[in-house]
Amino acid sequence: MHNVERLVAGRKRLLLLDTDVAGYARSQGKTPVTFGPTDLVCCRTLQGHTGKVYSLDWTPERNRIVSASQDGRLIVWNALTSQKTHAIKLPCAWVMTCAFSPSGQSVACGGLDSVCSIFNLNSQTDRDGNLPVTRMLSGHKGYVSSCQYVPDEDSHLVTSSGDQTCVLWDITTGLRTSVFGGEFQSGHTADVLSISINGSNSRMFVSGSCDSTARLWDMRVASRAVRTFHGHEGDVNSVKFFPDGNRFGTGSDDGTCRLFDIRTGHQLQVYYQPHGDNDVPPVTSIAFSISGRLLFAGYTNGDCYVWDTLLAKMVLNLGSLHNSHDARISCLGLSADGSALCTGSSDTNLKIWAFGGHRRVI
Amino acid sequence: MATKLEDGAEYSFALEYHGPPITRNLPRAVPINVDRIPVAAVVSPVTLPDKLSLPIVHPLSATEICKKFSKECKLGSSSELLTVSPTSVISFEPGKNGVGEGSFSKELGLGSETSVSPSSVNNAFEERDPSNGPSSNSNCVMSGELSSDLESSNRDYGANGGNDLGFSSVNHDNSLEMIGGVGSSGALGFSDSFEKSMELSGSLQKRVSSDCKERLDFNESSQPDWDSSESVMSMDYPSSRVSSCKFGDGKNESSRDVRRASLVRFCDIESDDEDTDEEFSRAEPEVVIAKREPAVKVRKGACYRCLKGSRFTEKEVCIVCDAKYCSSCVLRAMGSMPEGRKCITCLGFPIDESKRGNLGKCSRLLKRLLNDLEIQQIMKAEKLCEVNQLPPEYICVNGRSLYQEELIMLQSCPNPPKKLKPGNYWYDKVSGLWGKEGNKPSQIISPHLNVGGPIKADASNGNTQVYINGREITKVELRMLKLAGVQCAGNPHFWVNEDGSYQEEGQKNTKGYIWGKAGTKLLCAVLSLPAPSKSSSPCGEQVNSVISRSFPDYFEHRAIQKLLLIGYSGSGTSTIFKQAKILYKDIAFSEDERDHIKLLIQTNVYSYIGILLEGREHFEEESLNKLRKTSSSDDTELTGCGEGNVEKTPYSICPKLKSFSDWLLKIMASGALEVIFPAATREYAPLVEELCSNSAFRATYNRRSELKTLPSIASYFLERAVDMLKPDYKPSDLDILYAEGVTSSNGLSCVDFSFPEPAHDDDVDSEDLHDSLLRFQLIRLQTKGFAENCKWLEMFEDVRLVIFCVSLSDYNQYVNDSDGSSVNKMVLSKKLFESVVTHPTFDQIDFLLLLNKFDLFEEMIEQVPLSQCDWFDDFHPVISRNRSNNSNRNNINNNPSLGQLAFHYTAVKFKKLYSELTGRKLYVSLVKGLEPNSVDAALKYSREILNWDEEKNNFNSSEYSVYSMDANSFSN
Repeated sequence: MHNVERLVAGRKRLLLLDTDVAGYARSQGKTPVTFGPTDLVCCRTLQGHTGKVYSLDWTPERNRIVSASQDGRLIVWNALTSQKTHAIKLPCAWVMTCAFSPSGQSVACGGLDSVCSIFNLNSQTDRDGNLPVTRMLSGHKGYVSSCQYVPDEDSHLVTSSGDQTCVLWDITTGLRTSVFGGEFQSGHTADVLSISINGSNSRMFVSGSCDSTARLWDMRVASRAVRTFHGHEGDVNSVKFFPDGNRFGTGSDDGTCRLFDIRTGHQLQVYYQPHGDNDVPPVTSIAFSISGRLLFAGYTNGDCYVWDTLLAKMVLNLGSLHNSHDARISCLGLSADGSALCTGSSDTNLKIWAFGGHRRVI
Repeated sequence: MATKLEDGAEYSFALEYHGPPITRNLPRAVPINVDRIPVAAVVSPVTLPDKLSLPIVHPLSATEICKKFSKECKLGSSSELLTVSPTSVISFEPGKNGVGEGSFSKELGLGSETSVSPSSVNNAFEERDPSNGPSSNSNCVMSGELSSDLESSNRDYGANGGNDLGFSSVNHDNSLEMIGGVGSSGALGFSDSFEKSMELSGSLQKRVSSDCKERLDFNESSQPDWDSSESVMSMDYPSSRVSSCKFGDGKNESSRDVRRASLVRFCDIESDDEDTDEEFSRAEPEVVIAKREPAVKVRKGACYRCLKGSRFTEKEVCIVCDAKYCSSCVLRAMGSMPEGRKCITCLGFPIDESKRGNLGKCSRLLKRLLNDLEIQQIMKAEKLCEVNQLPPEYICVNGRSLYQEELIMLQSCPNPPKKLKPGNYWYDKVSGLWGKEGNKPSQIISPHLNVGGPIKADASNGNTQVYINGREITKVELRMLKLAGVQCAGNPHFWVNEDGSYQEEGQKNTKGYIWGKAGTKLLCAVLSLPAPSKSSSPCGEQVNSVISRSFPDYFEHRAIQKLLLIGYSGSGTSTIFKQAKILYKDIAFSEDERDHIKLLIQTNVYSYIGILLEGREHFEEESLNKLRKTSSSDDTELTGCGEGNVEKTPYSICPKLKSFSDWLLKIMASGALEVIFPAATREYAPLVEELCSNSAFRATYNRRSELKTLPSIASYFLERAVDMLKPDYKPSDLDILYAEGVTSSNGLSCVDFSFPEPAHDDDVDSEDLHDSLLRFQLIRLQTKGFAENCKWLEMFEDVRLVIFCVSLSDYNQYVNDSDGSSVNKMVLSKKLFESVVTHPTFDQIDFLLLLNKFDLFEEMIEQVPLSQCDWFDDFHPVISRNRSNNSNRNNINNNPSLGQLAFHYTAVKFKKLYSELTGRKLYVSLVKGLEPNSVDAALKYSREILNWDEEKNNFNSSEYSVYSMDANSFSN
């Protein structure tokens, strides 16, 4: 019943919109970004994992990357030299997400053990050369699907979980500060898969869930979501704030990426590349370029499209480049300065793509 | 020309050239240092089935190269170029079919770099022009050749009919009609030679990008086209990149052998032919270590990548191919060094054994380039990664090369051989003496290691006719023995134990200790013979306990077999998990865990008490009502006077306990039981004691079966409540087994274990050894999140077996689903089973169904018919009459109990369901989760399933199906 109402409401909303971003941009005479063969090149391959890479995150500075893989390890990479600086063997091998702290001092990870574990990179290794867990954030009743540090705060972290909630943690005490959703009204009604914290207002974050909605939350108001965004017809696998903080993008099982406006609640644009055949590859992960002009989206069939967000036009497919990954791209991340894109893949490697040619950054 | 071979398969191959002599001027390339240039050869067909294996290159030191051309038309390879060194031999390994391709592709990557090298200009590029071929399916052969001493005329080229032997430059034109992209495939390895000759002809504009992978694609897709007759290819590539799809166009169903034959290989040593391989390995069993060399040849001292620098510039060396890179190139050439200092193209190749000593030793160059942490990681990877380990087949002990497990045992024993290098060794298992084959002992290592074959008499090549443990000793040893005071007259045969005690063969009494005297050790040092160090105490025990040994990381990762344990909530997966921990772990639960479990049990007990008290209130009210009713009907006149006394029922308790009860219930209602209770245990223990002896409480306890919320397991705890609530209570294994919530209901828990070995005797054969090294990981998974579109289940794609647990007693149990209607738990179990079985992740994985709680089921089935559950409505057991008289007895021969019949019926139901869904066979086993033996048997059964699965893959022999017979027989 609810779903039907929502669908109807969503349709109405769409009808009320007279145009989308692409239509407007076209009417303004904008032309899509063009990519020459050397404009986005793979400049590093990070080899060292022995299992599928599931998640990666950049440090805000210093150009380090943490990646989580099916082999039960977190690896911290120096993106410049492409060397590992830490290889952390996890107590629970089934890791799904990882995050770098804003200071770059510690990394967090979470997975099927329903615990978010924090590792301080400066702590002493034990006899076997393993880094000990600094803190375990336990309290979720389902797997931890995603985690992100609150910008500029090493002591706070937001996680999303299969128990339909998101939680804001105080790492120093190891306790939950607030729980978003769950038994409260207007929370997600299925597993939460992804979160993204607003870069310009770190009180706000958005979450994407198996209930095919994305919800906007205010960390100070745990009781209810600020806004719920309908539109997707499948699980929302990935959410990411637009660099300006007023929009966010989503990637979903229905094969589309969408752009939503948090102030109006409107869907601004759908990014969908029709395929010849019937099966629509779900979107696994998305990321925006530093200006927001480009949207990188990884698909389960191994494609990785670069969308021009303004014209909703696919301008490049990283998956078809000659030195791309051998298997599907499972996670994406842009470095803080926007100069490089890192992709993690099921072929156990990570690759760093840099903008070459005349433009350093888009 | 197509030829029918004996086996009927169609191969095309080249014939000897019988045409008129070639009149054209054959261009000849100028040779440069021929000895050091790798030779390309056409790989002959490999007839083994295609199997995936690591690519292995068998290069040989360049000076030994000698070339032979075999003209085996029979094999269907047109120009078979064998380059075999007479001295070096590669032992043939079955299943190494990937070799050709792998090495080929690898070398290709290297070959691409030659294009820069100024020195590698010489090439003899030959191509037979297929357009002259009279028949459309004529085969085309092309071979690139770098060394000019190989005269093109030496080779027999498959020139069909009037085909000319010639060079591409002669016949090429812009739209050359090529057969199946042969030319490109043949020339791929020699990008520059190809390019050059093409440019010569002026017909081909092809830019070969230096990317190795791309070329591989290109190459691979072009291979099938080798003898495709229809494909007409334009050699004119407009784009800078050769797209593989172009070659795919003309894809033809070419036989694999032909495809193989088309492979061009760059190698120094060539083992082209399976037959050749075998022949050679038979002739010379000596293990020879293949050495890989960089294809790039540079000026001496220059960097292999930028070709700059002199021998004085600091460089880093690849531990595989010996390529040297300067500081500005090393990071580019070696990438992120996941296997230590190897070129990217050398990843996955075994290291150059001569560099083994340098593993993990960092150079100054790297230290300057990278920070400490990074270097630490590289060195760790270099030392510990699997490919860099000493290959076990290179170590030969007592005439037999080792298995991986044996090598690990050898290296991880308390007294391992020092600086183990590839070679032949002898090992005296009784005394622990260890030496190189044909030499005197060099060391005393841990004795009783089960490695290698039995020691040979001539192991140390002695000629003294004095034997120690069956080995004829050397003169030096004999001298030592004599000086140590051992009687050696009459050429005795000694038994020497690890502690140095010796006795003569066939005699019982120990005659003395070889190293007993103070001077002997000194003597040994003088004669450079080994003497036992003090620390090497008898350590046979240690060696035998395989489980307690730690394994290298890489080995553990490989050898572990994952078993996934799932089931609907309440199916007893947690009990089985705990049972496995108790059964197979030395320390099932650590002190911390036990403390935690203690609190958990105590909290549980309080909650059980709470449920009972709640029930008590209910019962009290109920009986009060009854009492009131009877009193109101019977003696209505007494209404006014008896209020205080009449309301005394068997369920009433005194005010003190009443207040405790109220308080407890209030806490439970608020859901704060976990928060308050562990701490408050001490305080309330006396109250509970009082409560337990209270008659009202006992009366309630007796009616516990009416309380739906009380788990059946509660009575176990309630009966021991007083003890358990004592502060010094220590939970026993059984308590833990019964306790709820020990394994967290959130997420997953896993335990690593290996089955304890059966009674150990000294000569376990290697099969058993392998078995005991098998390690298992039991993963218990909560099933709450098993939605249809479960995203994370694919993380378990590497499990070997899914153990699905169903509680048999579920047929009589109901839960309320989200709509509020009650659903049979067996039906829910079935639903879960269906969704798990059909999940794409478990497509190829075997399932073992455990039907749990059989003990409970047997009792229940006597009271409630199985048809209680809709799914089982056609259960009509045939029960003999005499059995129904004594229904409690089971296990009468030929007269199974109702419980067993019902179990069989259920098993068959599930099997049918499974085969309908997957078309495969479901393994079923019966389990009583609370009985250790039963769980042990079930888990051993799962090991047998895995064994059987492996054997099935290996042999397809029926012999091994015996494995599962007994366990299966009762489930059928």
